[in-house]
Amino acid sequence: MSFLHKLGLGMGSGTTRGVSLPIHANSRARTPGAPISAVGPARSPESPGSARVSNGLKEFLWNLDGLGRGSLLDLGPASQTTLNFFIERGFRVSSEDILRGWKAFLTEEERRLREDVSACETLDMTPTGRATRFLVENLKYSRASFDAVLLWDLLDYLEPMLVKQMVASLTELLRPGGVILAMFHSKKPEGFQRYRVADSHTLQVISTPVICPPQKVYQNREIQDLFTRFRTMKSFVGRDQLRESLFIK
Amino acid sequence: MWKKEDSKPEGVSGAPASPINSSTSSSTAAANMPSPSGAPQGSSRTAACISQGIKIKGEVTGSEDLFVDGVVEGKLSLTTNSCLTIGPNGHVKADVLAREVIVRGKIEGKVTGRDRVQLGSTGEITGEVQTDRLAIEDGALLRGKVEAGRQTTKSAEIKASAATATGKAVDATALNSGTAAD
Repeated sequence: MSFLHKLGLGMGSGTTRGVSLPIHANSRARTPGAPISAVGPARSPESPGSARVSNGLKEFLWNLDGLGRGSLLDLGPASQTTLNFFIERGFRVSSEDILRGWKAFLTEEERRLREDVSACETLDMTPTGRATRFLVENLKYSRASFDAVLLWDLLDYLEPMLVKQMVASLTELLRPGGVILAMFHSKKPEGFQRYRVADSHTLQVISTPVICPPQKVYQNREIQDLFTRFRTMKSFVGRDQLRESLFIK
Repeated sequence: MWKKEDSKPEGVSGAPASPINSSTSSSTAAANMPSPSGAPQGSSRTAACISQGIKIKGEVTGSEDLFVDGVVEGKLSLTTNSCLTIGPNGHVKADVLAREVIVRGKIEGKVTGRDRVQLGSTGEITGEVQTDRLAIEDGALLRGKVEAGRQTTKSAEIKASAATATGKAVDATALNSGTAAD
């Protein structure tokens, strides 16, 4: 193993660093048989439709292995490749594009306020109130109904108050042992990308017009605080400053 | 004499248009019929059409292809080999059942496509999708549960045939023959 690999800054094959952080002292981190750094180079997501080797996805699938007919919630855009990938593996998939839903919600709120000035007084216009109203209409699933959630990088684009409430909702929706795959930008993203599962260790990165502007860059400690009810957190940092995180309930 | 009659082109003025019957209409006759704008291209049969500006509340059933560019609320089910297309202006608030469902507008409700559900880039589905094969174009909006594969569709077919059997015996026979073909 080279010196750079020892530092977790592998070149060539090791482009991501796996960081496993138990959230609670008694948490049990499950580790797959394959070494974390044994992957190909992660390409930058600037070009439309570029591929990105994803250790997070690999680990996510490893955790779901042997689950049989599990259920998955995809909170990204409806994509045939992603849906097919999981359906072929026997998953029942639910899809809900939260970012587009959030944008539609904000547009609707704005229209409502323009048309009815008195709505300003009746509606709770604080971020908390807005987040609560949004979640009344979205993520309407029964408790403990999913084994896995694909959260992608959408937390970076939502209001921090909504993020807090949404993570709490997702925690309720997940069964014990359930897994969330999320991504966080280490710096403010320049473009806007959406993701698809190409195969078991590759994501397709699709550059698209901005749906919502980025709201916040989360630090490691903030991420841990958000997912405090999860027993394990595992992160993989790519060269493109995108951190893939896995949370196990 | 015989040859002259045979070589007469179809659709010539004065010649009566052939009746559109799903069991008897030929593909050439159907190809000559004008199709509603936005209707699926390449379809060998002419689709019935609920145009933009028309609103139907209640239950719509049939055994022909249907193109919906208006509003339908209630229930929409097509039997046998029928294809349902929701045009870009179409808005369906109903549970939908057909062999093939093409969505370019909005559907709110459960969508069952026995063979295939195709969600176009302008399409929006809010509700459960059950089908054998699912095709989604970029930009489409899907909000709900997806169940795809043979098993799912067969159970939906069984339910549908059971429901139809209580209504019309003729329709049930047609649906069962479609199931056997699968």
